[in-house]
Amino acid sequence: MSALELKGLTVSYGKGRRVMTAVDNVDLTIPSGGFLGLVGESGSGKSSLGRAVAGLAPVTSGQILVDGAPLARRSLFGRTAQPVQMIFQDPSGSLDPRMTVGASIAEGVAAGGARGGRADRSAEVRRLLELVSLDPRHATSLPSRLSGGQRQRVALARALASAPSLLVADEITSALDVSVQGSVLNVVREAVATLNITTLFISHNLAVVTAMCDEIAVMYAGRIVEKAPTAELVSRPRHPYTRALLDAVPSLRRPAPRADAKVLDTEPPDPFHLPAGCPFNPRCPAGPGVHADRQICTERRPQFVELNARHLAACHFPGAVTHDTVERSAHANASLPT
Amino acid sequence: MTRRRLPAFLRTPLGISGAAGVAVLAVIAVVAPILFEDQATTGKVADAQLPPSAEYWLGTDSLGRDVFARVLVATRLSLELSLAATALCVVAGVVIGVLPVVLGRRLGRLVTAVVDFAVAFPGLLLALFLIVIFGAGSSGAVLAVGLSGAPFFARLTHTLASGIAQRDYIAASRMLRVGPVRLLVRHFLPNVAEPIVLNATIIFASVLQAFAALSFLGLGVQPPSYDWGQLFNEGLARIYVNPGQALGAAAAIVFAGLSFSALGEALSHAAGRRSGQGRRKTESAATAVSPAAERDEFAETSARLRVSGLRVEVLPEGTAESFEAVREVSFEIEAGESVGIVGESGSGKSLTASAIAGLLPTGAYATAGRIDFGGRDLRPLTVSQRAKALGTSISMVFQDPMTALNPSMRVGAQLAEVVQVHEGADRKSAMARAVGRLGQVRIPAPARRARQFPHEMSGGMRQRAVIGIGVMGSPQLIIADEPTTALDVTVQRQVLDLLEQVRADNDASLMLISHDLGVVAQRCQRALVMYGGTIVEELTTDMLRETAAHPYTRALLDCVPEVMSEPGGHLVTIPGTPPEPSAMSEGCPFAARCVSADDRCRSERPRLEAQGRAGHRVACWYPQVMVKADTLVGPGGGGA
Repeated sequence: MSALELKGLTVSYGKGRRVMTAVDNVDLTIPSGGFLGLVGESGSGKSSLGRAVAGLAPVTSGQILVDGAPLARRSLFGRTAQPVQMIFQDPSGSLDPRMTVGASIAEGVAAGGARGGRADRSAEVRRLLELVSLDPRHATSLPSRLSGGQRQRVALARALASAPSLLVADEITSALDVSVQGSVLNVVREAVATLNITTLFISHNLAVVTAMCDEIAVMYAGRIVEKAPTAELVSRPRHPYTRALLDAVPSLRRPAPRADAKVLDTEPPDPFHLPAGCPFNPRCPAGPGVHADRQICTERRPQFVELNARHLAACHFPGAVTHDTVERSAHANASLPT
Repeated sequence: MTRRRLPAFLRTPLGISGAAGVAVLAVIAVVAPILFEDQATTGKVADAQLPPSAEYWLGTDSLGRDVFARVLVATRLSLELSLAATALCVVAGVVIGVLPVVLGRRLGRLVTAVVDFAVAFPGLLLALFLIVIFGAGSSGAVLAVGLSGAPFFARLTHTLASGIAQRDYIAASRMLRVGPVRLLVRHFLPNVAEPIVLNATIIFASVLQAFAALSFLGLGVQPPSYDWGQLFNEGLARIYVNPGQALGAAAAIVFAGLSFSALGEALSHAAGRRSGQGRRKTESAATAVSPAAERDEFAETSARLRVSGLRVEVLPEGTAESFEAVREVSFEIEAGESVGIVGESGSGKSLTASAIAGLLPTGAYATAGRIDFGGRDLRPLTVSQRAKALGTSISMVFQDPMTALNPSMRVGAQLAEVVQVHEGADRKSAMARAVGRLGQVRIPAPARRARQFPHEMSGGMRQRAVIGIGVMGSPQLIIADEPTTALDVTVQRQVLDLLEQVRADNDASLMLISHDLGVVAQRCQRALVMYGGTIVEELTTDMLRETAAHPYTRALLDCVPEVMSEPGGHLVTIPGTPPEPSAMSEGCPFAARCVSADDRCRSERPRLEAQGRAGHRVACWYPQVMVKADTLVGPGGGGA
């Protein structure tokens, strides 16, 4: 229903010498009704970005615009729910253990400004439970009676209860078994499409993101390093980090990729001491570790380059497509649903 | 065993004696003033100052009143005042403790600072100070004692509330703009209530003593009212005339203090255990041998690890009913082989691994079967026998490396410890070897890293260090239980590479437990698929995509998400939920979720039988011979 626009968003924690910039000057737009996937490793800042959008992390500088208007700061005694709602990773922590499922959802219904009595509210709770494919009888259960997948669907129902225009989903299936993961993701996608909610979907699993999202942004060390429509990103990744992420997805269709001995064997960067230049350069298979002449990577931080109208990458040497990538895009095409 | 069980706190001597003591006190407090009021308040002057006798058990005081009756009657006032002070202490403490949550950040910090300052101040001193303000007497003493204990509860509440404030459901409510008062009443208070109540029971004993002390000093209860402290005060002045009064009051104070402390301790112990681990099961069940294991006589085999008819029973705490979480699991692992065990949470895969490693959690017991490793059955061995028999030949890598490492010990020292303990190496050479091993597990700058603490390392580094500990000795079997679930995909790949390298270098076998079929398919030679505590299929990983015959394996294959170049495909799931291990049916465990299940599947359990190609075993009445994934599950996903 609403477009989300981030302008120079920066989130940092700490003070003085111990300051850590989790999100560094990020510009990002999700069109109204869009479904954007945000991928990256832990520590890349993707969760901080999501929490900032949901008003749960402090915005150091920059703006969060919803339909062009700045998101109102959280006021202590505000009466109605904010337009951005969020679902979290941990199904055991996302619901109050001492509150029934129905009461948790009703809290959202009330916050959405719904009028009417207790009967209306419980009817609305039933409708929401059905929307997330749960038996309405679960309304009287405590969260401890539900499985992880069911809890995540309750969390979705509570988020939807206040009729938000934007939804942030942060690693919502990473704590679930693969056999129930789909049941949560399908429900999210259907509900979001039905209600036309703009969605920011955060995950470290590219396979899940490609199945869910129209567009994907890849985050590394606090910045977006590549952004493209899903098909484009999968078949023609231009940033070496995106390629590394794609290769790392465990697959039944490919043998395990062998890591290049020289690179991609160092850990994610220390957020307090980012490498100079491009922060990915010590791990980069297309960077100075492999190509001695590419010293620019250690000297200057690359800017976003527009490769075509919708494909952006922040790399000094974008588009060095290797045979690996070509092979995968063939696989990807073969796996298209018929 | 269906008889109703006592509450957990009543099952310990401490709990029983505490509860009995408190009950006795409660009865005395109610009954004594009714029965003994007369003897306690009116005495014959002729009988003044008598020593203990058959008529006056504790003698009489200067006005000839029966001291024993006075001690009994004083119970009510003593308990009432302590109760009032404790209540004040808790209420004031909780209110002050949650203030920082309601107030803004700056005001909240001020409140916290004041509370911290007050906590640092000795409680009795604070009470004495307050009593100067409120004035001596019963109500003054209640206020003083109550308020002097409040900082403790304020701090406790604040600590608990800060923990809850981090939880996602609070964040969710904040996004819904739930008001601070409602947030407090609906979310914070119910979740801090239990520890607060427990602490109140424990603190009650100290409040009682504080009261006795104040009254003893003449600052508490004033005559003609009397409580134990006041009786003690009077008695002490005349202790050479009649020791009965001082001793009687003192005994009452000690008895009450001990009873309430014991009850509080027992309650909090029970509460702690409810959230913790269970008890051990009886030995007798542990030595039973299943018929299957007896039938399956142990033959000479080349296998490095041979598990036959393994059963693991779990007895959850607070229940009398145990259930079987692993049932009749048999498999072999050859030397140098890597075998993956795949299954959902609750499938019994981790318990199977723990049973082999001898690391079953408390409350879980391997009740039947054999675990043969290097020609010896490991199952009946005790921990020390195992350590002697195995040394370092089985090493284990856990999901969360933080739990496998000692947070207060440098990483290098933890590696060195392995050879110091098992091989008696001296510190210096052990350390040199530790640094070498850290290098082998590809930790950059190993000498520097060896001096770091676990928390200074990233998740991937820690997992490498744990693998490093595993290869300090000479492992023949490496058991890795979800080693990469807590790690990012890029790091996951490196850790899996490392495990493979370590396995090859040591000519060890690898048992890789994972919920991710993709990982197992890429990294292992064979896969064991577990469901509902049993192995439902065993096959080589190259057969996985084409020849998997169990409907569960096939469904699981379709669930693995692959990178797609077009979003929108329906994600495959397995409908229903895994069976509760405590409510397992007689039939096939997967029957309830299986599309091709019939009555036979629901009533009769299929055994693991050889199927088609060598090395392929499946436990299904209707194994899928042809690849027809589409008929099993919804469209999309698999079968490309």
